[in-house]
Amino acid sequence: MTTTIAQPSYLEGKKGLFSWIFTLDHKRIALLYLYAIIAFFLVGMTLGLLMRLELLNPGKDLVEPTTYNQIFTLHGVIMIFLFIIPSIPAVFGNFFLPLMLGTDDVAFPKLNLLSWWLYVLGAVFALATLVFGDGPADTGWTFYAPYSVKTGTNVTMAVMAAFILGFSSILTGLNFIVTIHRLRTPGMGFNQMPLFAWGLYATSWIQLLATPVIGITLLMIVAERVFGIGLFDPSIGGDPVLYQHMFWIYSHPAVYIMALPAMGIVSEIIPTFAQRTIFGYKAIAYSSMAIAFIGYFVWGHHMFTSGMSGPAAIIFSVLTFLVAIPTAIKVFNWVATLYKGSIDVKPPLLYALAFIFNFLIGGLTGLVNGALAADIHVHDTYFVVGHFHYVMFGGTGFAFFGALHYWFPKIYGKLYNIRMANISFAIFFIGFQLLYFPMLVVGLMGMPRRYYDYLPQFHVPNVVSTVGSWILATGILMMIANLMVAYWKGKKARKNPWHGITLEWQTSSPPPLHNFDKMPEVNEKGPYHYKNAMDQ
Amino acid sequence: MEHSFSLPNSGHNFDAEASKLGMWLFLFTELLLFGGLFLVYMVYRSLNHEAFIEASHHLNVWAGTTNTIVLLASSLTVAMSITALQQGNKKRSLLLLTITFIAAGVFLVIKYFEWSAKFEHGLFPGMEHYSQLPTGERLYFYLYFFMTGLHGLHVIIGGIFLAVVMVKIKSGKVHKDRISLLENGGLYWHLVDLIWIYLFPLFYLIH
Amino acid sequence: MENINTHTPQVAVSQHISSYKLLFTVFAGLILLTILTVLVSTTFTFSVSLAVALALMIASTKALLVAYYFMHLKYEPRFYKWMVIVVLALFTFFVIMLTIDYFTR
Ligand code: HEM
Ligand SMILES: [Cu+2]
Repeated sequence: MTTTIAQPSYLEGKKGLFSWIFTLDHKRIALLYLYAIIAFFLVGMTLGLLMRLELLNPGKDLVEPTTYNQIFTLHGVIMIFLFIIPSIPAVFGNFFLPLMLGTDDVAFPKLNLLSWWLYVLGAVFALATLVFGDGPADTGWTFYAPYSVKTGTNVTMAVMAAFILGFSSILTGLNFIVTIHRLRTPGMGFNQMPLFAWGLYATSWIQLLATPVIGITLLMIVAERVFGIGLFDPSIGGDPVLYQHMFWIYSHPAVYIMALPAMGIVSEIIPTFAQRTIFGYKAIAYSSMAIAFIGYFVWGHHMFTSGMSGPAAIIFSVLTFLVAIPTAIKVFNWVATLYKGSIDVKPPLLYALAFIFNFLIGGLTGLVNGALAADIHVHDTYFVVGHFHYVMFGGTGFAFFGALHYWFPKIYGKLYNIRMANISFAIFFIGFQLLYFPMLVVGLMGMPRRYYDYLPQFHVPNVVSTVGSWILATGILMMIANLMVAYWKGKKARKNPWHGITLEWQTSSPPPLHNFDKMPEVNEKGPYHYKNAMDQ
Repeated sequence: MEHSFSLPNSGHNFDAEASKLGMWLFLFTELLLFGGLFLVYMVYRSLNHEAFIEASHHLNVWAGTTNTIVLLASSLTVAMSITALQQGNKKRSLLLLTITFIAAGVFLVIKYFEWSAKFEHGLFPGMEHYSQLPTGERLYFYLYFFMTGLHGLHVIIGGIFLAVVMVKIKSGKVHKDRISLLENGGLYWHLVDLIWIYLFPLFYLIH
Repeated sequence: MENINTHTPQVAVSQHISSYKLLFTVFAGLILLTILTVLVSTTFTFSVSLAVALALMIASTKALLVAYYFMHLKYEPRFYKWMVIVVLALFTFFVIMLTIDYFTR
């Protein structure tokens, strides 16, 4: 037997810019994504604050109407394609999937680097819309035809950005599926896999099988603009509703690209901080697959008012209600896990609980949108804007920051100030509710979305919302500052500060270059079998 | 740098099964990429039935049939070249791949002549004749150029892929016991064939 | 340390070798089907929708042959077949829903 020589951590080792931007190490690639994604989040947030500022009072205050349209489009494109879709898979999936499976990298490290560079290229395209021609697209992030074919703004470039980012996402998904199939450590079957890995597995299938459809649709928009003649323009026999079909065939499943990894994160955080075996492991794991599958069948609920046929609308409405079932299963299981657990309230758990709370509101308002009759009333109002911010931001966004707090000690080997983290969480959470709850209200009152202006009777909720946006931004900046301070000055973290038992906690913090210095030990009874838990 | 411990299932090991699985997954994305186009085709065809039939008379069935046979033959030779290399017959494998490569060229040449005939008739989107066609026929030609164009691009990519494989077989990097790259090149090539199998009847044979 | 598992993942996967004869037979079938589909479309002009249905059935048979024999799907583990089925099922669902929408407008 040979003695193991301790490897340097992945953060030490090679130095210099190139050792980062051309690294094949999944952990370094994950950090590249992390920095880029947080940067884009802050840009998107600034745009959001700008919109809220314009909406503080009715009438034109700050920006021209067209500029406002460009701002919400850019905000949407950045938040969707550059922030939320890659967020959890590209950062925490890349970093922790191999660690949780007990291996040293993803199946195709070079492909992983390619994904990262495609992401960069897509981002460059998205930002380039700012400086060329008539500026960023003003179509909304949905690029609906025929307006997207007719407007003079930089739709072509924005659409190309989405296309390229789509390929980045496809390749990440492909990589994860193969990794999960081929690189699990000996002794780890599918049913010994952590639930985050299950969430990523389901997500990856969506990335793989839904993204190409939007890819080709966006190419058609490009061709239509370039050749000046097209497919979706009704004046030559095209059908704009068909564009909407093609767009949502991808974009509804994309909602689950956002949600499933977030649910995976919550399923990691809750058992760790309840120190208790997760309730209904298989139900949670398989419901991820069910959600991914059913998610393909409901896209039409975005088109109830677009001129789709009655029977089709009814079928889509019914199918939409089906998705609520596996989602509810998960929520019940999380709550059941917390029940009678020895709960240790730390920042990651707070974020996880906030996820459940916000996702519940997002989900329930989603049912209102999914019900054919109700949607006719709320479609294209601020109710929808409130709804999807609750799901994407309140759900996935909070899970993303929760994951950051959960794994920060592992990633950097440093501890952050827990008190500061709690305070900034509280401000963030309160700001969030103030920002978005009024949107639900004002939407029900009838305020339409995507306008720089509104009628005077909507004034009060809009003021609350804008003040909320300032509070939220304060909370977020405090949170990021707290983590940055920890990075520079934080106390050294131990291997396993939260007493987690999935494999990533068996290696040092930060992990060595090849992840493990000795063989990780798989718990045969499943990944959350706490030996000294109260109920055993 | 030395470290005495390394994991048995490393992402840096070569794993033939992983590379095959990865390739199949990639093929699924390609299938759905074209799938999207087929959906658009289906809808417009059902809305413009007569016009599609009318427009399809502009295509040359014999050119299409020849190309179908050329592609099928090239699929056969790729499959055979895999068998040859599995049996250790490097020379025959290379020969068969060369034939495939040539077939790809023939396919593209025929396609080129077909396209230029359409160009001469001004049937390319944006040209004068095209703009005077009824809307249904315009949709047909738009889809025709888009779909066969994208397919042609895949033929080119597939050809380059196979050329790379040939170089690697020659240099001995791809051989009997490490055949994944050839197999993946073959899978990709068959996919190109598969898509053509549907494009052919949908555009050429609908009258 | 006894729990260090020293097995390396399979480098050489058990390969199936298709004989030239089998490949040729499949090829002959493909050519026959091609001729058949051309004949059907040029001679049977009585019913367009029937002709389209026939053409698609023949194309699907050809596709199946290519996938099964040329692409070795026949010899792959069951998981591969399931993947193909899921992909086709999704696509079929897209087709069905679009058809319902456009034919009930
Ligand atoms: C950080 C604070 C944020 C603020 C203040 C904010 C604010 C807004 C506002 C006011 C709108 C509505 C514009 C309109 O319809 O006139 C909007 C739209 C939108 N937001 Fe946010 N948002 C924020 C964060 C996010 C996040 C995190 C995401 C995604 C994860 C997101 C995704 C979107 C999308 C997709 C739209 C629709 C754009 C469109 O209509 O095309 N936002 N946001
Ligand atoms: Cu949806």
